Amino acid sequence: MRVSHQNAGILLITPSVFLICALLVYPVLYGVWLSFFKKHSFFPEQKFVGLANYLYLLKDSEFWMSLWYGTFYSVSTIVLQIIIGVIAALILNEAFRGRNFVRGVVLFPYMIPTVVAIILWKWLLNNHFGLVNYLLLAAGIIEDPLSWMGKDHIMTSLVMISVWEFFPFVVLSVLARLQTIPLVLYEAAKVDGAGAWSRFIHVTLPQLRNVLFVVILLRSIWMFTKFDTVWLLTQGGGAEKYIRTLPVFAYMRTFTYYQAGLGSTLAVIMFGILIASTTVYFKMFRREENI
Amino acid sequence: MKPRNAFLSLRGQAIYWCAAILLIFTAFPFFWMVSTSFKSLREIFVYPPYFLPKDFTLANFARLFEQTRFLIYFKNSMFVSTLTVVFTMAIATAGAYSLTRFRFYGREKIASLILFTYMFAPIMIIIPFYVLIKKIGIANTHLALIMAYTAFCLPFSLWLLRTFFQSIPLVLEEAALVDGATRFRAIIHVILPLALPGIIATAIFTFILAWNDYIFVRILITSDKLKTLSVGIADLYNATVIDWGMIMSGGMLITIPVLVFFIFIQRYLIAGWGTGAVKG
Repeated sequence: MRVSHQNAGILLITPSVFLICALLVYPVLYGVWLSFFKKHSFFPEQKFVGLANYLYLLKDSEFWMSLWYGTFYSVSTIVLQIIIGVIAALILNEAFRGRNFVRGVVLFPYMIPTVVAIILWKWLLNNHFGLVNYLLLAAGIIEDPLSWMGKDHIMTSLVMISVWEFFPFVVLSVLARLQTIPLVLYEAAKVDGAGAWSRFIHVTLPQLRNVLFVVILLRSIWMFTKFDTVWLLTQGGGAEKYIRTLPVFAYMRTFTYYQAGLGSTLAVIMFGILIASTTVYFKMFRREENI
Repeated sequence: MKPRNAFLSLRGQAIYWCAAILLIFTAFPFFWMVSTSFKSLREIFVYPPYFLPKDFTLANFARLFEQTRFLIYFKNSMFVSTLTVVFTMAIATAGAYSLTRFRFYGREKIASLILFTYMFAPIMIIIPFYVLIKKIGIANTHLALIMAYTAFCLPFSLWLLRTFFQSIPLVLEEAALVDGATRFRAIIHVILPLALPGIIATAIFTFILAWNDYIFVRILITSDKLKTLSVGIADLYNATVIDWGMIMSGGMLITIPVLVFFIFIQRYLIAGWGTGAVKG
C-alpha cells in the first residue's frame, strides 16, 4: 500500500518485535554471556571464567555420551516419523468410508499434553500389569515380561513413544501437500504405463520434495532439542542415564547441580550444532523454489 | 472423489486394513486410558486384563478431586492459557496485519527474524530466562508463565496469521477505502470477518501450546498452589505408590479441553493450514 502509511505499519509491528527481542533473542544472547561465567542457579554471585566451561565439557565423558544419545534419538525418531508419516498420509489420501474420522483421530497424539502421552505409555508398558507385555506374552513372542523402562529397553521405548507422539505432524504436512498434486500428472503417468510404485517414485515423491525439506528441517530442530518427553520418561525408572540426551543434561546441570553457567554453555553448544547443521542442510538440499 | 466399489477390489481392501491398523495404533492408547480410569482398583491389576471395566466406577475421579489439588491446577491452567491467548492474539494480529498490508524498511528482515526464532527451543531459552526472571523478582508467579508463553507463541502465531491475511485480497480493503471508509472501519467490517476463522484457529493453537507446556511451569513455578495441570499430573506419578486409576482419570480430564478445541480446528488443519504453516 501507500508509503505514507509506513508509520502505522511500524507502529503495529513494534509490540511483536519488542517482545520477541526482549523475551527470546535477549535471553539467548544472555545465555551466551552466562556461558563464560561460573554461576550458581539460585544465588546472584558469578565469576568470569572465560572458556573454562567449554574446555571442561570437551573433557567430560558425560557430555559426549549425552551428545551421542541425543543424536541417536533425533536421527532414529526422525527417520521413523518420516517413513510412518508419509505412509499414513498416502493411506489417508485414498478415498474410503470414514476417512475424515480416521484423519482426525490420527492427529490426536500430536495435540495432547506430553505428560498424558508419557503416563499413558508408562501404563501400557508397565512390567507386571502393562497391556503390551500381556499381549506379547499371550502371542508367544516373548517368554518373560520385558522391562521396558529398564536400561536395556528404555531407549527403544523412548523412540517408540516419541514417534507415536510426533508422526502426526508429518502426516498433517504431507497430506496437505498431497491434496494439491494435480490428478493430471497421475493420469499422464498411467497412460505412459507406469505402475503404482513407479507413479509414487516419479510423480508423488518429486512433488513432496519441498514439503519434506521443511518438515525434516523443523522436526530435526524440535527432536534435537526435545526435553519434556525424554525427561518425563526418565522419572522413576532408575535407568535415566541411558537416555540422557543433551537437553536433559543441560537441565540437570542447571537445576539439579545448580551450575547455570555450565547449563548455559550446553544450551549454546546445542544452538551452535543446530546452526551449523541447518547451514549444511540448506547448502546440500535447498533449491530456489524450496522456501 | 467417490469411493469405487471398495469391498470388491483388492486395493480397496488393502486400504481398509491399513487404515484400521493406523486407527488402532493411534487411538488404542486413548481407549486404554479411558477404560482404566473407569475400572475399580481390583480390576486395574487383574490378570489377564479386561478391555472394558466390568463394574464401572467413578471412584478414581472421586479420589482425584478429594486427595489432590486437581481443581486448583485446572483453574490455574485455564487462567494462564486464556490470558496467553488474549495477549498473543492482540499482539500477533496487529503484527501480521502490518506485515501483509504495509510496506516499510526492514519488513522482510522482521519476517526472517520470526522464522529464525523457530530455532529457539524452550530448553535453550529457559536457563537464561530463569536467571533473568529471578533478577527482576517475578519467579514463581503466573505473570512469568504468561510472559514466557506469549513470547514463545508469538513467532508461530505471526507466521500463521500472516498466511491467513495474505489470502485475503487487498482489493476488498481498497474498495472500502475508496467508498470513503476509514482504515479502521475497513479493518473492522471487511478484514476481520474474513480473517476470523484464521484468528480462531491460531488462538486455539496458542491455547493448546500453553495448556500442554511442561518445562516452563516446572522451572518457573515452585509453590504447589500455582502449578498447572502438566506438572500437577507428572507429580502424581512421582508419588511413592502409583495410583494408576487416579492418574489415568486425571490424564483423561486434561485431554478433554484439548480435544474439544481440536475438533473445531480440524478442518483448517487438513484443508490447508499444513501448507500455510509449514511452507514458510
